Amino acid sequence: MALPLRYNLRNVIVRWRATIATILGVALVVAVYILVQSLAVGLEKSSRNTGDSRNVMIVRKGSTAESSSQITREQFQLLQYWPQIARDGRGQPIVSADVVVMVTLPRRESTAEAHVLIRGITPAGMKLRPQVSLVAGRWFVPGRREVVVSQRLAARIANFDVGAQFKTGSHTLTVVGWLDGARSAFDSEVWMDANEARSIYHRDNYSSILARVVNETAGAALASRIESDKRLPLRALPEVQYYSAQTMTAMPIRILGNFLATAMSIGAVFAAMNTLYASVGARTREIGTLRVLGYRRRSILSSFLVEGALLALVGGILGCILSLPMHGYSTGTISFESFSEVIFEFSLTPWLMAKGLIFAVAVGLVGSLLPALRAARLPPIVALNSV
Amino acid sequence: MTIASFITKNALRNKRRALLCVLSVAVSLFLLVTLQVALREVTLPPEDVGAALRVVVRNKISISSPLPARQRAVIERIPGVEAVSPFSFFGGKYRNEESMSFAQFAMDPKLLRKIFGEAKMPENQYAAFEADQTACILGKVTADKYRLKVGDRVPLTSTLYPCSIELKIAGIYEGTIDDRNLLFHHKYLDEAGGSPGWVAMWWVKVRSVEEMPRVTEAINRAFASSSAEVRAETERAFQLSFVAMWGNIKIMVHSICTVVVFTLVLVTASTMSMAIRERFRELAVLKALGYRRRELFAFILAESFGLAALGAIIGIGTAWTLFTHASIAKLTQGIFLTFEVTPRIIGQAALVAASLGIIASLAPSIAVARMSVVEGLKTLD
Repeated sequence: MALPLRYNLRNVIVRWRATIATILGVALVVAVYILVQSLAVGLEKSSRNTGDSRNVMIVRKGSTAESSSQITREQFQLLQYWPQIARDGRGQPIVSADVVVMVTLPRRESTAEAHVLIRGITPAGMKLRPQVSLVAGRWFVPGRREVVVSQRLAARIANFDVGAQFKTGSHTLTVVGWLDGARSAFDSEVWMDANEARSIYHRDNYSSILARVVNETAGAALASRIESDKRLPLRALPEVQYYSAQTMTAMPIRILGNFLATAMSIGAVFAAMNTLYASVGARTREIGTLRVLGYRRRSILSSFLVEGALLALVGGILGCILSLPMHGYSTGTISFESFSEVIFEFSLTPWLMAKGLIFAVAVGLVGSLLPALRAARLPPIVALNSV
Repeated sequence: MTIASFITKNALRNKRRALLCVLSVAVSLFLLVTLQVALREVTLPPEDVGAALRVVVRNKISISSPLPARQRAVIERIPGVEAVSPFSFFGGKYRNEESMSFAQFAMDPKLLRKIFGEAKMPENQYAAFEADQTACILGKVTADKYRLKVGDRVPLTSTLYPCSIELKIAGIYEGTIDDRNLLFHHKYLDEAGGSPGWVAMWWVKVRSVEEMPRVTEAINRAFASSSAEVRAETERAFQLSFVAMWGNIKIMVHSICTVVVFTLVLVTASTMSMAIRERFRELAVLKALGYRRRELFAFILAESFGLAALGAIIGIGTAWTLFTHASIAKLTQGIFLTFEVTPRIIGQAALVAASLGIIASLAPSIAVARMSVVEGLKTLD
């Protein structure tokens, strides 16, 4: 017969000091685990959120980022009228050749600098990216040296307020609006007129081409046609797929999170063990009594295991609660793909929290196993005689 | 029985608890030291001996915008400049690897010894590198990682330039702070399909430290209001500007360290007070025998301090031994190079341990101070 849960509960409350310490210990471990992992999740989410499933992205073969990709005007001319590319009402192909330039700009609150991606974009390019919207000011006027910056980037980079001006190389650009990328990779970009960008950054070539395809089969056909055309050293793939592959930066964060979780959980296991050993020691007579009353060894064992797991579970829940306020908090670091500032947010998914709770319970079980075994193995007579 | 042995006996009475307590302190301090060392290496990259005399020149727009090759002659004429070499990041992937695992730079081999004097290589390897345009030299860390030796071929596909190249290893160098990189002829890059007439950066060797500020400024001024304005700065400043790119990661690791320390204090303090509570009766007996509060505090403090110190010695000692003697470059596949445990980091960790010992003894001390002898004697367990 199993021991009632209430027995564990009361015992835990009686030794409240040690209980609170153990619970808090587990809570902090779980909170660190969840927070670090939520960064990795947030990074991957921002990549996955980017793109339109009807679009195909074309970049130079071998390039890992748009900023290091190059497409010549001839190559663009060659493919922009291909039948696989959709046309608008006036029969014009819906395709945009963008130029992406990395620029170094000062940060807002320190003397440090950041790399920021400037995308020179055409009206078609903006139509192809409907997830990007204007949240303040106005769009740039083609032909003028004006930019629209991401609102999230504006919080981190100096002189990014609407109406402000900043210098890049020997040119001055005016910020006329803020854009919102709906939590996508575009939240890390600055947009301006493509021709202006090409002229001030001396770019003869484009960086990438984004095209709306007629349908999915046309997209595949376009990719294979580019692949087989020897004049085009390019690669075409669905835009969504292109961005979702850009998750290299999340890797080291994941590794850091796992390392921390492992190291800290060892400490937490020790803490749980200490508490439960003390608990077993103090309850020696009780355990003897329970055995005499007919409770089996395995009931005692499972009772202590349950106690440890419960303690840790409460810690885990507390850890989740502690980390919750960070959800949605936006942060930034250097991307390993584009070597520029990438903005993302802490993203606490239910699955991540579930993992944190499972992790907590595991810590509790491992920590209580040895004390529980000790309790179960106590000979009843000796236990009853102990003071 | 001396007082010291009394304290030791007390501390070790419950051996299991003492062990768990010491170990949890040790694990936490090990973690703390590891994080600090990693953070230091990332945010304060090791500096080369020759760095004090090197100036890095890049495009003012950003490092990814190229510089025209014609700038070289202008820089060379600036007084105080000893040598100028192009230095272009190739960004190549080795064989069929998914991502870049070591950096390759195209430069002028004739100036290798002048600008990067730290690299040590046999004389004949220098000559072989200079003579053959398809040759390269490779840092020992990378060479060891891929078991490459002189004469082997290194196929690379660039992620930045539209070309693939195959280089022959002419030499393997060591002695720089970062023995990971591959260096090859800039001429070969131009011919293989790089962008002839353009380079990514200029690396300049200056004659003396005194001339550094003047030369740096002269280079900046030389190309002001040209089509490619430049930014010249010391190698150190250049390195540190990359560190700033990490953004919020640094704050994050700092906060994690704080949480680790806090957890540590919590757990140890709880264990300590647990140990004292179990011993309430004995302490009451001591009190009855005429020991004063002050002496009881000293007992508790000594015990708590001793446990924390032991944990610190094990934790910090393990970290120090591991990071000093094991080859970190090999263990981390060349991600971390020096992983140096500095006296400062050891001091910080020791300080944390010491404060921990003191804080953990506070709660039990207060409890003992409050307890009346009669009450303490009545306590059963």
